[in-house]
Amino acid sequence: MEYLLHILILIGIYIILSVSLNLVVGYSGLLSIAHAAFYGVGAYVAALLALKLHSPFLLNIICAVILSGLLGALVGIPSLRIRDDYFAIATFAFQVITFSVMNNWVSFTGGPMGLPGIPQPTIFGLEINTHYRFLSLVFVLGVIVLWVCHKIVNSPFGRVLKSIREDEIFAQAQGKNVASCKVLVFVIGAGMASVAGVMYAYYISFIDPTSFTIMESIFILSIVIIGGAGNIWGSVLAAAVLVILPEALRFLGMPSSIAANMRQIIYGALLVILMLFRPQGFIGEYAFKK
Amino acid sequence: MSLTQTLVNSLSAAAVYALVALGFALIYNTVRFFHFAHGIVFTGGAYFVFLLKVWLGFPLFFSIIVAIGLSAILGCLIEISIYRRLRHKGASSLILLLASLGVYVVLQNIVSMVFGDDIKTIRSGMVEEGINILGTKVTPIQIAIIAVSLSLLVSCFLFLKYTKIGQSMRAVANDPELACASGIESDRVILATFALGSALAGIAGILVALDVDMSPTMGMNALMMGVVAVIIGGVGSIPGVALGALLLGMAQHLGVWKISSQWQDAIAFVILLIFLLFRPQGFLGRKIKKVTI
Repeated sequence: MEYLLHILILIGIYIILSVSLNLVVGYSGLLSIAHAAFYGVGAYVAALLALKLHSPFLLNIICAVILSGLLGALVGIPSLRIRDDYFAIATFAFQVITFSVMNNWVSFTGGPMGLPGIPQPTIFGLEINTHYRFLSLVFVLGVIVLWVCHKIVNSPFGRVLKSIREDEIFAQAQGKNVASCKVLVFVIGAGMASVAGVMYAYYISFIDPTSFTIMESIFILSIVIIGGAGNIWGSVLAAAVLVILPEALRFLGMPSSIAANMRQIIYGALLVILMLFRPQGFIGEYAFKK
Repeated sequence: MSLTQTLVNSLSAAAVYALVALGFALIYNTVRFFHFAHGIVFTGGAYFVFLLKVWLGFPLFFSIIVAIGLSAILGCLIEISIYRRLRHKGASSLILLLASLGVYVVLQNIVSMVFGDDIKTIRSGMVEEGINILGTKVTPIQIAIIAVSLSLLVSCFLFLKYTKIGQSMRAVANDPELACASGIESDRVILATFALGSALAGIAGILVALDVDMSPTMGMNALMMGVVAVIIGGVGSIPGVALGALLLGMAQHLGVWKISSQWQDAIAFVILLIFLLFRPQGFLGRKIKKVTI
Protein backbone atom coordinates (compact mmCIF):
# COMPACT_ATOMS: atom_id res chain seq x y z
CA MET A 1 0.00 0.00 0.00
CA GLU A 2 2.82 2.37 0.89
CA TYR A 3 4.32 1.57 -2.48
CA LEU A 4 1.14 2.62 -4.21
CA LEU A 5 1.01 5.86 -2.20
CA HIS A 6 4.65 6.50 -3.07
CA ILE A 7 3.87 6.24 -6.78
CA LEU A 8 0.88 8.54 -6.39
CA ILE A 9 3.02 11.15 -4.59
CA LEU A 10 5.61 11.02 -7.39
CA ILE A 11 2.86 11.39 -9.97
CA GLY A 12 1.63 14.45 -8.10
CA ILE A 13 5.09 16.00 -8.12
CA TYR A 14 5.53 15.37 -11.84
CA ILE A 15 2.08 16.74 -12.60
CA ILE A 16 3.08 20.02 -10.93
CA LEU A 17 6.34 20.04 -12.91
CA SER A 18 4.86 19.23 -16.29
CA VAL A 19 1.82 21.48 -16.02
CA SER A 20 3.99 24.45 -15.06
CA LEU A 21 6.41 23.73 -17.91
CA ASN A 22 3.45 23.47 -20.26
CA LEU A 23 2.60 27.10 -19.48
CA VAL A 24 6.03 28.08 -20.76
CA VAL A 25 6.51 25.62 -23.63
CA GLY A 26 3.00 24.83 -24.74
CA TYR A 27 1.15 28.09 -24.20
CA SER A 28 3.93 30.61 -24.81
CA GLY A 29 6.03 28.62 -27.29
CA LEU A 30 9.29 29.17 -25.38
CA LEU A 31 11.20 25.89 -25.52
CA SER A 32 12.90 25.55 -22.14
CA ILE A 33 15.32 22.77 -21.18
CA ALA A 34 15.86 24.16 -17.69
CA HIS A 35 12.87 23.03 -15.68
CA ALA A 36 14.83 20.61 -13.52
CA ALA A 37 17.00 23.55 -12.49
CA PHE A 38 14.01 25.38 -10.96
CA TYR A 39 12.80 22.10 -9.48
CA GLY A 40 16.25 21.74 -7.88
CA VAL A 41 16.38 25.33 -6.68
CA GLY A 42 13.07 24.78 -4.87
CA ALA A 43 14.34 21.59 -3.28
CA TYR A 44 17.64 23.10 -2.19
CA VAL A 45 16.13 26.32 -0.83
CA ALA A 46 13.63 24.38 1.27
CA ALA A 47 16.19 21.85 2.45
CA LEU A 48 18.77 24.47 3.40
CA LEU A 49 16.24 26.64 5.24
CA ALA A 50 14.83 23.64 7.09
CA LEU A 51 18.26 22.27 8.03
CA LYS A 52 20.12 25.46 8.86
CA LEU A 53 17.44 27.83 10.14
CA HIS A 54 14.76 25.29 11.18
CA SER A 55 12.20 27.58 9.62
CA PRO A 56 8.61 26.35 9.16
CA PHE A 57 7.39 24.59 6.05
CA LEU A 58 5.05 27.28 4.78
CA LEU A 59 7.71 29.98 5.04
CA ASN A 60 10.20 27.75 3.18
CA ILE A 61 7.79 27.11 0.37
CA ILE A 62 7.22 30.85 -0.03
CA CYS A 63 10.97 31.58 -0.02
CA ALA A 64 11.55 28.82 -2.58
CA VAL A 65 8.87 30.20 -4.89
CA ILE A 66 10.22 33.74 -4.64
CA LEU A 67 13.86 32.81 -5.25
CA SER A 68 13.02 30.44 -8.06
CA GLY A 69 10.76 33.06 -9.59
CA LEU A 70 13.56 35.60 -9.55
CA LEU A 71 15.84 33.11 -11.29
CA GLY A 72 13.01 32.49 -13.73
CA ALA A 73 13.01 36.18 -14.59
CA LEU A 74 16.74 35.98 -15.13
CA VAL A 75 16.27 33.15 -17.63
CA GLY A 76 13.20 34.72 -19.18
CA ILE A 77 14.93 37.99 -20.01
CA PRO A 78 17.21 36.48 -22.70
CA SER A 79 14.04 35.35 -24.51
CA LEU A 80 13.55 39.00 -25.44
CA ARG A 81 16.78 39.04 -27.41
CA ILE A 82 17.18 35.53 -28.71
CA ARG A 83 14.52 33.19 -29.95
CA ASP A 84 13.57 29.63 -30.83
CA ASP A 85 16.45 27.20 -30.75
CA TYR A 86 18.98 29.75 -29.57
CA PHE A 87 16.75 30.41 -26.59
CA ALA A 88 16.57 26.66 -25.93
CA ILE A 89 20.37 26.62 -25.81
CA ALA A 90 20.37 29.53 -23.35
CA THR A 91 18.04 27.64 -21.00
CA PHE A 92 20.27 24.60 -21.45
CA ALA A 93 23.19 26.75 -20.28
CA PHE A 94 21.24 27.84 -17.21
CA GLN A 95 20.48 24.21 -16.42
CA VAL A 96 24.17 23.25 -16.59
CA ILE A 97 25.27 26.20 -14.46
CA THR A 98 22.66 25.47 -11.78
CA PHE A 99 23.65 21.82 -11.66
CA SER A 100 27.27 22.86 -11.43
CA VAL A 101 26.56 25.08 -8.42
CA MET A 102 24.60 22.31 -6.66
CA ASN A 103 27.36 19.85 -7.36
CA ASN A 104 30.42 21.97 -6.64
CA TRP A 105 29.57 24.45 -3.93
CA VAL A 106 30.29 21.74 -1.39
CA SER A 107 30.40 23.90 1.75
CA PHE A 108 26.89 25.20 1.09
CA THR A 109 24.97 22.56 -0.83
CA GLY A 110 26.83 19.47 0.31
CA GLY A 111 28.01 18.81 -3.24
CA PRO A 112 27.61 15.26 -4.59
CA MET A 113 26.95 14.01 -1.05
CA GLY A 114 23.71 15.98 -1.02
CA LEU A 115 21.73 17.13 1.99
CA PRO A 116 20.47 14.31 4.24
CA GLY A 117 18.07 14.44 7.17
CA ILE A 118 15.53 17.02 6.02
CA PRO A 119 12.93 17.13 8.84
CA GLN A 120 9.26 16.30 8.29
CA PRO A 121 7.11 19.34 7.66
CA THR A 122 4.57 20.64 10.16
CA ILE A 123 1.60 22.73 9.05
CA PHE A 124 -0.40 24.50 11.78
CA GLY A 125 0.75 21.94 14.33
CA LEU A 126 -0.11 18.96 12.12
CA GLU A 127 2.93 16.85 11.44
CA ILE A 128 3.10 15.45 7.91
CA ASN A 129 4.71 12.15 8.78
CA THR A 130 2.79 9.44 6.98
CA HIS A 131 2.44 8.62 3.31
CA TYR A 132 -1.28 9.44 3.50
CA ARG A 133 -0.62 12.92 4.83
CA PHE A 134 2.10 13.55 2.25
CA LEU A 135 -0.22 12.44 -0.50
CA SER A 136 -2.93 14.78 0.75
CA LEU A 137 -0.46 17.66 0.86
CA VAL A 138 0.81 16.96 -2.67
CA PHE A 139 -2.79 16.60 -3.80
CA VAL A 140 -3.77 19.96 -2.34
CA LEU A 141 -0.74 21.71 -3.86
CA GLY A 142 -1.29 19.96 -7.19
CA VAL A 143 -4.92 21.08 -7.28
CA ILE A 144 -3.86 24.65 -6.48
CA VAL A 145 -1.29 24.59 -9.30
CA LEU A 146 -3.79 23.11 -11.74
CA TRP A 147 -6.43 25.62 -10.75
CA VAL A 148 -4.03 28.56 -11.16
CA CYS A 149 -2.86 27.26 -14.55
CA HIS A 150 -6.43 26.71 -15.66
CA LYS A 151 -7.31 30.27 -14.64
CA ILE A 152 -4.22 31.67 -16.37
CA VAL A 153 -4.75 29.97 -19.71
CA ASN A 154 -8.38 31.04 -19.86
CA SER A 155 -7.65 34.61 -18.87
CA PRO A 156 -6.82 37.52 -21.20
CA PHE A 157 -3.18 37.03 -20.16
CA GLY A 158 -3.36 33.42 -21.34
CA ARG A 159 -4.73 34.50 -24.68
CA VAL A 160 -1.88 36.98 -25.06
CA LEU A 161 0.54 34.13 -24.38
CA LYS A 162 -1.07 32.05 -27.11
CA SER A 163 -0.92 34.94 -29.53
CA ILE A 164 2.80 35.36 -28.80
CA ARG A 165 3.25 31.69 -29.55
CA GLU A 166 1.38 31.90 -32.83
CA ASP A 167 2.70 35.23 -34.07
CA GLU A 168 4.80 37.45 -31.90
CA ILE A 169 4.87 40.42 -34.24
CA PHE A 170 1.10 40.35 -34.53
CA ALA A 171 0.77 40.33 -30.74
CA GLN A 172 3.06 43.32 -30.59
CA ALA A 173 1.06 45.08 -33.25
CA GLN A 174 -2.03 44.61 -31.09
CA GLY A 175 -0.35 46.71 -28.43
CA LYS A 176 0.43 43.77 -26.12
CA ASN A 177 3.52 44.01 -23.98
CA VAL A 178 5.13 40.87 -25.32
CA ALA A 179 8.35 41.30 -23.33
CA SER A 180 6.77 41.47 -19.89
CA CYS A 181 4.34 38.65 -20.70
CA LYS A 182 7.19 36.35 -21.67
CA VAL A 183 9.17 37.10 -18.53
CA LEU A 184 6.09 36.81 -16.34
CA VAL A 185 5.15 33.37 -17.66
CA PHE A 186 8.69 32.22 -17.03
CA VAL A 187 8.53 33.49 -13.45
CA ILE A 188 5.22 31.70 -12.87
CA GLY A 189 6.49 28.45 -14.38
CA ALA A 190 9.70 28.57 -12.34
CA GLY A 191 7.83 29.35 -9.13
CA MET A 192 5.48 26.39 -9.61
CA ALA A 193 8.37 24.06 -10.42
CA SER A 194 10.00 25.04 -7.14
CA VAL A 195 6.85 23.96 -5.27
CA ALA A 196 7.39 20.49 -6.70
CA GLY A 197 11.02 20.71 -5.59
CA VAL A 198 10.05 21.63 -2.03
CA MET A 199 7.67 18.68 -1.86
CA TYR A 200 10.30 16.34 -3.22
CA ALA A 201 12.89 17.48 -0.68
CA TYR A 202 10.53 17.06 2.28
CA TYR A 203 9.12 13.78 1.06
CA ILE A 204 12.39 11.98 0.29
CA SER A 205 14.13 13.86 3.16
CA PHE A 206 17.37 13.64 1.20
CA ILE A 207 18.41 15.51 -1.92
CA ASP A 208 21.47 15.40 -4.13
CA PRO A 209 22.27 17.00 -7.51
CA THR A 210 21.62 13.82 -9.53
CA SER A 211 17.87 14.38 -9.22
CA PHE A 212 18.12 17.70 -11.08
CA THR A 213 20.22 16.93 -14.14
CA ILE A 214 19.81 17.85 -17.77
CA MET A 215 18.27 14.40 -18.36
CA GLU A 216 15.61 15.23 -15.78
CA SER A 217 14.87 18.45 -17.67
CA ILE A 218 14.57 16.48 -20.89
CA PHE A 219 12.25 14.04 -19.12
CA ILE A 220 9.93 16.81 -17.90
CA LEU A 221 9.97 18.36 -21.36
CA SER A 222 9.10 14.97 -22.86
CA ILE A 223 6.08 14.68 -20.56
CA VAL A 224 4.82 18.02 -21.87
CA ILE A 225 5.48 17.17 -25.52
CA ILE A 226 4.07 13.65 -25.30
CA GLY A 227 0.94 14.73 -23.44
CA GLY A 228 0.50 17.65 -25.77
CA ALA A 229 1.86 21.16 -25.79
CA GLY A 230 -0.84 23.66 -24.96
CA ASN A 231 -3.10 21.29 -23.06
CA ILE A 232 -2.93 21.02 -19.27
CA TRP A 233 -4.80 17.70 -19.10
CA GLY A 234 -2.42 16.17 -21.60
CA SER A 235 0.43 16.91 -19.21
CA VAL A 236 -1.47 15.42 -16.27
CA LEU A 237 -2.16 12.25 -18.19
CA ALA A 238 1.36 11.92 -19.59
CA ALA A 239 2.94 12.52 -16.18
CA ALA A 240 0.88 9.69 -14.71
CA VAL A 241 1.67 7.31 -17.57
CA LEU A 242 5.40 8.03 -17.70
CA VAL A 243 5.85 7.74 -13.92
CA ILE A 244 3.95 4.45 -13.77
CA LEU A 245 5.78 3.06 -16.82
CA PRO A 246 9.04 1.89 -15.13
CA GLU A 247 7.04 0.38 -12.27
CA ALA A 248 4.87 -1.47 -14.76
CA LEU A 249 8.01 -2.74 -16.51
CA ARG A 250 9.30 -3.99 -13.17
CA PHE A 251 6.05 -5.87 -12.62
CA LEU A 252 6.58 -7.56 -15.96
CA GLY A 253 9.74 -9.04 -14.46
CA MET A 254 12.30 -6.63 -15.83
CA PRO A 255 15.22 -5.98 -13.47
CA SER A 256 15.05 -2.43 -12.15
CA SER A 257 18.40 -1.40 -13.64
CA ILE A 258 17.13 -2.25 -17.12
CA ALA A 259 13.70 -0.81 -16.37
CA ALA A 260 15.28 2.61 -15.76
CA ASN A 261 17.00 2.51 -19.15
CA MET A 262 13.86 1.11 -20.78
CA ARG A 263 11.82 4.02 -19.45
CA GLN A 264 14.19 6.51 -21.02
CA ILE A 265 14.28 4.57 -24.28
CA ILE A 266 10.50 4.52 -24.40
CA TYR A 267 10.03 8.24 -23.80
CA GLY A 268 12.90 9.11 -26.16
CA ALA A 269 11.36 6.93 -28.86
CA LEU A 270 7.91 8.39 -28.18
CA LEU A 271 9.39 11.86 -28.61
CA VAL A 272 10.84 10.95 -32.02
CA ILE A 273 7.70 9.13 -33.19
CA LEU A 274 5.42 11.97 -32.12
CA MET A 275 7.60 14.53 -33.87
CA LEU A 276 7.33 12.44 -37.03
CA PHE A 277 3.61 11.77 -36.97
CA ARG A 278 1.91 13.98 -34.42
CA PRO A 279 4.01 16.96 -33.29
CA GLN A 280 1.19 18.35 -31.18
CA GLY A 281 1.35 15.33 -28.85
CA PHE A 282 -1.52 13.10 -27.85
CA ILE A 283 -4.06 15.78 -26.96
CA GLY A 284 -2.23 19.03 -27.54
CA GLU A 285 -2.98 21.95 -29.77
CA TYR A 286 0.42 23.49 -30.49
CA ALA A 287 2.77 21.85 -33.00
CA PHE A 288 5.88 24.09 -32.89
CA LYS A 289 5.19 25.65 -36.26
CA LYS A 290 7.09 28.82 -36.87
CA MET B 1 50.84 23.93 -12.20
CA SER B 2 52.96 26.09 -14.47
CA LEU B 3 51.60 28.43 -17.10
CA THR B 4 53.07 26.43 -19.98
CA GLN B 5 51.46 23.26 -18.60
CA THR B 6 48.13 25.07 -18.50
CA LEU B 7 48.63 26.16 -22.08
CA VAL B 8 49.36 22.62 -23.25
CA ASN B 9 46.31 21.27 -21.44
CA SER B 10 44.09 23.96 -22.85
CA LEU B 11 45.41 23.32 -26.35
CA SER B 12 44.60 19.63 -26.21
CA ALA B 13 41.16 20.35 -24.76
CA ALA B 14 40.58 22.96 -27.45
CA ALA B 15 41.62 20.46 -30.12
CA VAL B 16 38.86 18.05 -29.05
CA TYR B 17 36.27 20.83 -28.78
CA ALA B 18 37.25 22.02 -32.24
CA LEU B 19 36.64 18.57 -33.77
CA VAL B 20 33.21 18.19 -32.15
CA ALA B 21 32.35 21.79 -32.96
CA LEU B 22 33.46 21.46 -36.58
CA GLY B 23 31.22 18.47 -37.20
CA PHE B 24 28.36 20.13 -35.38
CA ALA B 25 28.79 23.41 -37.29
CA LEU B 26 28.97 21.67 -40.68
CA ILE B 27 25.68 19.95 -39.95
CA TYR B 28 24.08 23.01 -38.37
CA ASN B 29 24.95 25.14 -41.38
CA THR B 30 23.29 22.85 -43.88
CA VAL B 31 20.19 21.84 -41.92
CA ARG B 32 19.79 24.79 -39.50
CA PHE B 33 18.86 23.01 -36.30
CA PHE B 34 20.69 21.85 -33.19
CA HIS B 35 21.59 18.24 -33.81
CA PHE B 36 21.80 16.98 -30.21
CA ALA B 37 22.30 13.42 -31.35
CA HIS B 38 25.73 14.54 -32.53
CA GLY B 39 26.77 13.85 -28.93
CA ILE B 40 25.78 10.21 -29.18
CA VAL B 41 27.74 9.79 -32.42
CA PHE B 42 30.77 11.00 -30.44
CA THR B 43 30.08 8.37 -27.74
CA GLY B 44 29.43 5.86 -30.52
CA GLY B 45 32.91 6.36 -31.98
CA ALA B 46 34.52 5.42 -28.68
CA TYR B 47 32.25 2.44 -28.04
CA PHE B 48 32.64 1.08 -31.57
CA VAL B 49 36.38 0.90 -30.93
CA PHE B 50 35.73 -0.80 -27.60
CA LEU B 51 33.40 -3.29 -29.29
CA LEU B 52 35.87 -4.11 -32.06
CA LYS B 53 39.05 -4.13 -30.02
CA VAL B 54 38.06 -5.57 -26.65
CA TRP B 55 35.02 -7.72 -27.47
CA LEU B 56 35.96 -8.90 -30.96
CA GLY B 57 39.74 -8.78 -30.56
CA PHE B 58 40.70 -6.76 -33.63
CA PRO B 59 43.93 -4.75 -33.53
CA LEU B 60 43.60 -1.17 -32.29
CA PHE B 61 44.46 0.61 -35.54
CA PHE B 62 42.01 -1.44 -37.59
CA SER B 63 39.30 -0.92 -34.95
CA ILE B 64 39.77 2.82 -35.03
CA ILE B 65 39.45 3.01 -38.84
CA VAL B 66 36.31 0.86 -38.87
CA ALA B 67 34.84 2.78 -35.92
CA ILE B 68 35.21 6.08 -37.75
CA GLY B 69 33.33 4.57 -40.69
CA LEU B 70 30.64 3.21 -38.36
CA SER B 71 30.20 6.64 -36.74
CA ALA B 72 29.66 8.16 -40.18
CA ILE B 73 27.10 5.46 -40.97
CA LEU B 74 25.34 6.06 -37.64
CA GLY B 75 25.01 9.77 -38.43
CA CYS B 76 23.68 9.01 -41.91
CA LEU B 77 21.14 6.51 -40.55
CA ILE B 78 19.77 9.11 -38.15
CA GLU B 79 19.54 11.61 -41.01
CA ILE B 80 17.84 9.23 -43.44
CA SER B 81 15.42 7.62 -41.01
CA ILE B 82 14.33 10.70 -39.08
CA TYR B 83 15.58 14.12 -40.06
CA ARG B 84 14.99 13.73 -43.80
CA ARG B 85 11.38 12.72 -43.28
CA LEU B 86 10.80 15.62 -40.93
CA ARG B 87 12.40 18.03 -43.39
CA HIS B 88 10.20 16.82 -46.20
CA LYS B 89 7.19 17.53 -44.02
CA GLY B 90 8.43 21.07 -43.56
CA ALA B 91 9.04 20.65 -39.82
CA SER B 92 10.33 23.64 -37.87
CA SER B 93 13.78 23.72 -36.30
CA LEU B 94 12.21 23.23 -32.85
CA ILE B 95 10.60 19.96 -33.95
CA LEU B 96 13.89 18.75 -35.36
CA LEU B 97 15.63 19.76 -32.12
CA LEU B 98 13.11 17.81 -30.04
CA ALA B 99 13.43 14.77 -32.30
CA SER B 100 17.21 14.89 -31.99
CA LEU B 101 16.89 15.04 -28.19
CA GLY B 102 14.75 11.92 -28.40
CA VAL B 103 17.32 10.17 -30.59
CA TYR B 104 20.04 11.11 -28.12
CA VAL B 105 18.12 9.72 -25.15
CA VAL B 106 17.29 6.45 -26.91
CA LEU B 107 20.81 5.78 -28.16
CA GLN B 108 22.54 6.76 -24.91
CA ASN B 109 20.37 4.30 -23.03
CA ILE B 110 21.03 1.58 -25.57
CA VAL B 111 24.77 2.16 -25.08
CA SER B 112 24.43 1.93 -21.33
CA MET B 113 22.28 -1.21 -21.55
CA VAL B 114 24.69 -2.97 -23.90
CA PHE B 115 27.99 -1.89 -22.39
CA GLY B 116 27.03 -0.97 -18.81
CA ASP B 117 27.39 2.33 -17.01
CA ASP B 118 30.89 1.77 -15.71
CA ILE B 119 33.99 3.29 -17.25
CA LYS B 120 35.49 1.28 -20.12
CA THR B 121 38.99 1.57 -21.45
CA ILE B 122 40.67 0.93 -24.79
CA ARG B 123 44.11 1.97 -23.59
CA SER B 124 46.59 -0.86 -23.42
CA GLY B 125 49.20 -1.24 -20.74
CA MET B 126 50.43 1.32 -18.32
CA VAL B 127 49.74 5.01 -18.22
CA GLU B 128 52.51 6.58 -20.25
CA GLU B 129 54.78 9.08 -18.65
CA GLY B 130 54.61 12.39 -20.48
CA ILE B 131 57.48 13.60 -22.59
CA ASN B 132 59.30 16.51 -21.09
CA ILE B 133 59.38 19.55 -23.37
CA LEU B 134 60.74 22.75 -21.84
CA GLY B 135 59.71 21.71 -18.36
CA THR B 136 56.19 20.80 -19.48
CA LYS B 137 54.76 17.27 -19.48
CA VAL B 138 53.10 16.38 -22.78
CA THR B 139 51.66 12.89 -23.26
CA PRO B 140 51.90 11.27 -26.71
CA ILE B 141 48.13 11.16 -26.95
CA GLN B 142 47.92 14.91 -26.31
CA ILE B 143 50.32 15.48 -29.21
CA ALA B 144 48.25 13.13 -31.37
CA ILE B 145 45.03 14.95 -30.45
CA ILE B 146 46.46 18.34 -31.35
CA ALA B 147 48.03 17.09 -34.60
CA VAL B 148 44.92 15.22 -35.77
CA SER B 149 42.65 18.10 -34.94
CA LEU B 150 44.78 20.71 -36.67
CA SER B 151 45.19 18.67 -39.82
CA LEU B 152 41.47 17.87 -39.96
CA LEU B 153 40.54 21.52 -39.52
CA VAL B 154 42.84 22.54 -42.36
CA SER B 155 41.72 19.76 -44.67
CA CYS B 156 38.04 20.49 -44.01
CA PHE B 157 38.65 24.13 -44.79
CA LEU B 158 40.30 23.22 -48.09
CA PHE B 159 37.67 20.58 -48.81
CA LEU B 160 34.82 23.05 -48.45
CA LYS B 161 36.60 25.67 -50.47
CA TYR B 162 37.94 23.74 -53.45
CA THR B 163 36.14 20.43 -54.03
CA LYS B 164 32.88 20.17 -55.91
CA ILE B 165 31.00 18.45 -53.09
CA GLY B 166 32.41 20.94 -50.59
CA GLN B 167 31.19 23.82 -52.71
CA SER B 168 27.73 22.33 -52.98
CA MET B 169 27.67 21.93 -49.19
CA ARG B 170 28.33 25.62 -48.88
CA ALA B 171 25.69 26.35 -51.50
CA VAL B 172 23.05 24.39 -49.61
CA ALA B 173 24.13 26.07 -46.37
CA ASN B 174 23.81 29.45 -47.97
CA ASP B 175 20.45 29.08 -49.65
CA PRO B 176 18.81 25.65 -50.00
CA GLU B 177 16.26 26.77 -52.56
CA LEU B 178 18.74 28.50 -54.79
CA ALA B 179 21.05 25.50 -54.53
CA CYS B 180 18.16 23.28 -55.56
CA ALA B 181 17.37 25.56 -58.49
CA SER B 182 20.93 25.35 -59.73
CA GLY B 183 20.79 21.59 -59.90
CA ILE B 184 22.23 20.55 -56.56
CA GLU B 185 20.44 17.63 -54.96
CA SER B 186 20.18 18.96 -51.45
CA ASP B 187 19.30 15.61 -49.83
CA ARG B 188 22.48 14.04 -51.12
CA VAL B 189 24.59 16.98 -50.06
CA ILE B 190 23.04 16.94 -46.60
CA LEU B 191 23.71 13.21 -46.36
CA ALA B 192 27.35 13.83 -47.25
CA THR B 193 27.50 16.53 -44.60
CA PHE B 194 26.14 14.14 -42.00
CA ALA B 195 28.71 11.54 -43.00
CA LEU B 196 31.57 14.01 -42.73
CA GLY B 197 30.35 15.66 -39.52
CA SER B 198 29.63 12.33 -37.84
CA ALA B 199 33.04 10.94 -38.82
CA LEU B 200 34.61 14.00 -37.17
CA ALA B 201 32.54 13.41 -34.03
CA GLY B 202 33.57 9.76 -34.02
CA ILE B 203 37.24 10.69 -34.33
CA ALA B 204 36.91 13.15 -31.43
CA GLY B 205 35.21 10.48 -29.31
CA ILE B 206 37.96 7.97 -30.02
CA LEU B 207 40.69 10.49 -29.19
CA VAL B 208 39.02 11.36 -25.89
CA ALA B 209 38.59 7.67 -25.07
CA LEU B 210 42.29 7.08 -25.75
CA ASP B 211 43.10 9.95 -23.41
CA VAL B 212 40.65 9.56 -20.50
CA ASP B 213 38.51 6.41 -21.17
CA MET B 214 34.77 6.32 -21.86
CA SER B 215 31.35 6.22 -20.25
CA PRO B 216 27.88 6.34 -21.86
CA THR B 217 27.31 9.96 -20.86
CA MET B 218 30.58 11.30 -22.28
CA GLY B 219 28.85 12.56 -25.42
CA MET B 220 26.58 15.05 -23.68
CA ASN B 221 29.50 16.91 -22.17
CA ALA B 222 31.51 16.91 -25.39
CA LEU B 223 28.49 18.09 -27.33
CA MET B 224 27.88 20.93 -24.90
CA MET B 225 31.45 22.15 -25.27
CA GLY B 226 31.19 21.82 -29.04
CA VAL B 227 28.02 23.91 -29.10
CA VAL B 228 29.61 26.56 -26.89
CA ALA B 229 32.67 26.67 -29.16
CA VAL B 230 30.49 27.03 -32.26
CA ILE B 231 28.40 29.82 -30.80
CA ILE B 232 31.27 31.88 -29.40
CA GLY B 233 33.34 31.37 -32.54
CA GLY B 234 30.54 32.22 -34.92
CA VAL B 235 28.41 29.73 -36.81
CA GLY B 236 29.40 29.28 -40.40
CA SER B 237 33.13 29.73 -40.47
CA ILE B 238 35.82 27.13 -39.83
CA PRO B 239 38.39 29.63 -38.51
CA GLY B 240 35.63 30.87 -36.23
CA VAL B 241 35.02 27.37 -34.88
CA ALA B 242 38.74 26.87 -34.27
CA LEU B 243 39.01 30.23 -32.57
CA GLY B 244 35.93 29.53 -30.43
CA ALA B 245 37.32 26.17 -29.33
CA LEU B 246 40.67 27.73 -28.53
CA LEU B 247 39.09 30.52 -26.49
CA LEU B 248 36.90 28.05 -24.64
CA GLY B 249 39.81 25.75 -23.84
CA MET B 250 41.96 28.65 -22.67
CA ALA B 251 39.20 30.20 -20.54
CA GLN B 252 38.43 26.89 -18.89
CA HIS B 253 42.01 25.97 -18.12
CA LEU B 254 43.09 29.42 -17.05
CA GLY B 255 40.02 29.37 -14.81
CA VAL B 256 41.11 26.02 -13.43
CA TRP B 257 44.53 27.44 -12.83
CA LYS B 258 42.99 29.93 -10.42
CA ILE B 259 39.89 28.18 -9.11
CA SER B 260 39.16 24.48 -8.84
CA SER B 261 38.61 22.23 -11.81
CA GLN B 262 34.96 21.24 -11.24
CA TRP B 263 33.87 24.68 -12.34
CA GLN B 264 34.87 24.07 -16.00
CA ASP B 265 31.30 23.48 -17.18
CA ALA B 266 30.01 26.52 -15.33
CA ILE B 267 32.74 28.71 -16.83
CA ALA B 268 31.94 27.48 -20.33
CA PHE B 269 28.25 28.18 -19.97
CA VAL B 270 28.63 31.56 -18.37
CA ILE B 271 30.74 32.51 -21.41
CA LEU B 272 28.03 31.07 -23.65
CA LEU B 273 25.29 33.10 -21.94
CA ILE B 274 27.33 36.27 -22.26
CA PHE B 275 27.79 35.64 -25.97
CA LEU B 276 24.15 34.71 -26.52
CA LEU B 277 23.04 37.93 -24.90
CA PHE B 278 25.51 40.39 -26.31
CA ARG B 279 26.94 38.89 -29.47
CA PRO B 280 24.81 35.95 -30.62
CA GLN B 281 26.60 35.82 -33.96
CA GLY B 282 29.89 35.00 -32.22
CA PHE B 283 33.34 36.35 -32.90
CA LEU B 284 33.61 35.79 -36.63
CA GLY B 285 29.99 35.29 -37.57
CA ARG B 286 27.94 37.63 -39.65
CA LYS B 287 25.03 39.39 -38.03
CA ILE B 288 22.00 37.13 -38.13
CA LYS B 289 18.53 38.44 -37.96
CA LYS B 290 15.51 36.23 -38.12
CA VAL B 291 12.66 38.03 -39.72
CA THR B 292 9.28 36.36 -39.41
CA ILE B 293 6.37 38.07 -40.99
